[in-house]
Amino acid sequence: MSSPQIEIQIIAAVVAVACAIPGVFLVLRKMALISDAISHSILPGIVLGFFITQDLNSPLLIILAALSGVITVVLVERIQKTGLVKEDTAIGLVFPALFSIGVILIAKNANDVHLDVDAVLLGELAFAPFDRLIMSGVDMGPKSLWIMGVILLITITLLLLFFKELKVSTFDIGLSSALGFSPVVLHYGLMTISSITVVGAFEAVGAILVVALMIAPAATAYLLTSELKRMLFLSIFFGIFSAISGYWLAHWLDASIAGSISTMLGFVFLLVYLFAPSKGLISVMYRQKQQRTEVSLLTFLLHLNNHTEEEERHINHLREHINWQKIRANTVVDLALKNNMISVEKELVSLTEKGKNFTETALDYIITNKDEKIEHLKEDFFLFRG
Amino acid sequence: MTITEYFQLLFTDYTLRTITLGTAVLGAICGMLGSFAVLRKQSLLGDAISHAALPGIAIAFLITGAKDTNVLLLGALISGLIGTFWIKGMTTKTHLKSDTALGLVLSLFFGFGMLLLTYIQKQPNANQAGLDKYLFGQAATLVVSDVWLMTFVTGLALIILLLFWKEFKLMLFDADYTKTLGFNTRFIDITITFFIVLAIVLGLQTVGVVLMSAMLLAPAAAARQWTNKLSVMVFLAAVFGAFSGVFGTAISATQNNLSTGPVIVLVASVFVAFSFIFSPGRGILFRQLRFRKNRRELELKKTLQMMFGIAKTHENVSHPHSIKILNNFQGFTKKTIREIEEKKWITITGQEWALTQKGFDEAENMFNKSSDDE
Repeated sequence: MSSPQIEIQIIAAVVAVACAIPGVFLVLRKMALISDAISHSILPGIVLGFFITQDLNSPLLIILAALSGVITVVLVERIQKTGLVKEDTAIGLVFPALFSIGVILIAKNANDVHLDVDAVLLGELAFAPFDRLIMSGVDMGPKSLWIMGVILLITITLLLLFFKELKVSTFDIGLSSALGFSPVVLHYGLMTISSITVVGAFEAVGAILVVALMIAPAATAYLLTSELKRMLFLSIFFGIFSAISGYWLAHWLDASIAGSISTMLGFVFLLVYLFAPSKGLISVMYRQKQQRTEVSLLTFLLHLNNHTEEEERHINHLREHINWQKIRANTVVDLALKNNMISVEKELVSLTEKGKNFTETALDYIITNKDEKIEHLKEDFFLFRG
Repeated sequence: MTITEYFQLLFTDYTLRTITLGTAVLGAICGMLGSFAVLRKQSLLGDAISHAALPGIAIAFLITGAKDTNVLLLGALISGLIGTFWIKGMTTKTHLKSDTALGLVLSLFFGFGMLLLTYIQKQPNANQAGLDKYLFGQAATLVVSDVWLMTFVTGLALIILLLFWKEFKLMLFDADYTKTLGFNTRFIDITITFFIVLAIVLGLQTVGVVLMSAMLLAPAAAARQWTNKLSVMVFLAAVFGAFSGVFGTAISATQNNLSTGPVIVLVASVFVAFSFIFSPGRGILFRQLRFRKNRRELELKKTLQMMFGIAKTHENVSHPHSIKILNNFQGFTKKTIREIEEKKWITITGQEWALTQKGFDEAENMFNKSSDDE
């Protein structure tokens, strides 16, 4: 590993962490798409800043661009307030317009601007180590590392200082304003930090992939935990992991680093999405199937409870009466037998003592719809589940 | 080239005519289907789908090695549909909200697409140039067969729309009711989504991945301001879309270095801004005017009420009073006094005013009305 390679990985990891932290709050506040809007609409700010400073790394440019990000948020909120269109439409109207202005500004001045749209969309992480910060003749390392490092430091400081306030205002706006933390200040604070992070990161990973770095680690972590602190740590971990593994993927394929980082993010998300315990797709589907069987079992038992006539309780009749297919009916009958809820004699099904008790408790619940009626139901009765 | 030259050339120049027709048809279909996206609160779905289409284009190229537009668009269609259904799956099966799901699909698919595109660019066969036109679109690459394809899809969408108009409309405004009536809501839903994806994919070549969502949204959002009727809205949106296409092409053709996509989007945004401000029913301007008028009226009536309060203590209603005694009253100015006089509620002689019979009745009625309400 050469030293530029190490530097690229460090920059990528720092960007990933800096994006992951505001990303968690954006996802929790259901504002994930604001990051998309910001990442597009900072373009005119960047272009204007570039005209003034002629330097992509100048702090003034970052401030101008972040300002245009905040303006986007304000504009979106203004349009929402008029009530003329829905919230998401407002987002969708504002950022393409601003982005178009940026693209046109670049195109009209193509000759004197060393800034092309591909670079804005994609970033050029591979070149980042060559733009070095020289202070009084001493090489201090890549410039973008310094910029992102400062942004990350600010983000972490603010996070530590205002963690409690952010937490309260994210989960309970009413409580937060009652306690005297202004949700508006926190909201715009978060928006400003997100804008600055997006601007700082855009050069490294590009405007659209910033969105991936913000949303994907947070969403992945959200599938694994419901605790804010753990979610923050997990998303930082996923961010760093994808950044570094993404770098090596790009190295191997000789392709865009930003593209492969987000591919890695996507891969990690997909794995977690499928296999996460309790919130992943597979466990959700398994649980839904189990619940379906449980409901079927209950229906079946209620049916038995309602009918004393023999023909209603004949095992073949049941199948057509409740309109189940053969396999499903067998599963349910088996389950009921295993749980000693029913007994079958000469193809006649009848409830056992336990089955009767169970059905009555369930009926109680259905009639009163009070949760305490079934709180102990599963422990008391269920031995096997589907 | 100036605008007039452009319009003269439009009838003689083959390429220009193709491009203009293409963008017009594209604008029309996007406006038409965009109305549904906007009303279904799926505005940003278009953004996600257009980004999600990118890996499809790259994979289609990697598999076939051909640059045939239709093959690439087929790839885009497939990956756009996968993206759409993944969004649906994510929001129904997990606790992730729709904004997160949209953002994820948008950025992850796009990132994967960029990975593939850069991978393709490094490949030895030189046939790959031009794939990145799908990022920002290049209307200049439109050929007649593309326009025919667009027209065909637009026609198809129109027929389906007219055939299932009632179902679509019902589904749009009351999905539960539609279900209870026995319509196959899933089928209707998938049909609308499919056509939205199709429209987006068609627009990629012209407007590009990044700006496609605005094509879908802007005409519809503009049209929404002028009407409360679905049919009118769909029609207006198609018209707005077509005009944005034509004007956008005209402007970008007459200037150097202007790509068509961003210009079309800006023209469409101007339509939106204009509609937001000037539409008579919902526009900000008229709403503000109405608001002002109401407030003025209220203040006049408040002043009249005050005068009534003074005048009713006298036996003769029209007993003159000094204007000065109104001075402490909030909302009273010389102008309001004059306006009240114009309404013939009072008469002014010198520094004194007197309530007229008309003003007295008005004030008394107002009083009765408000006490009735209580």
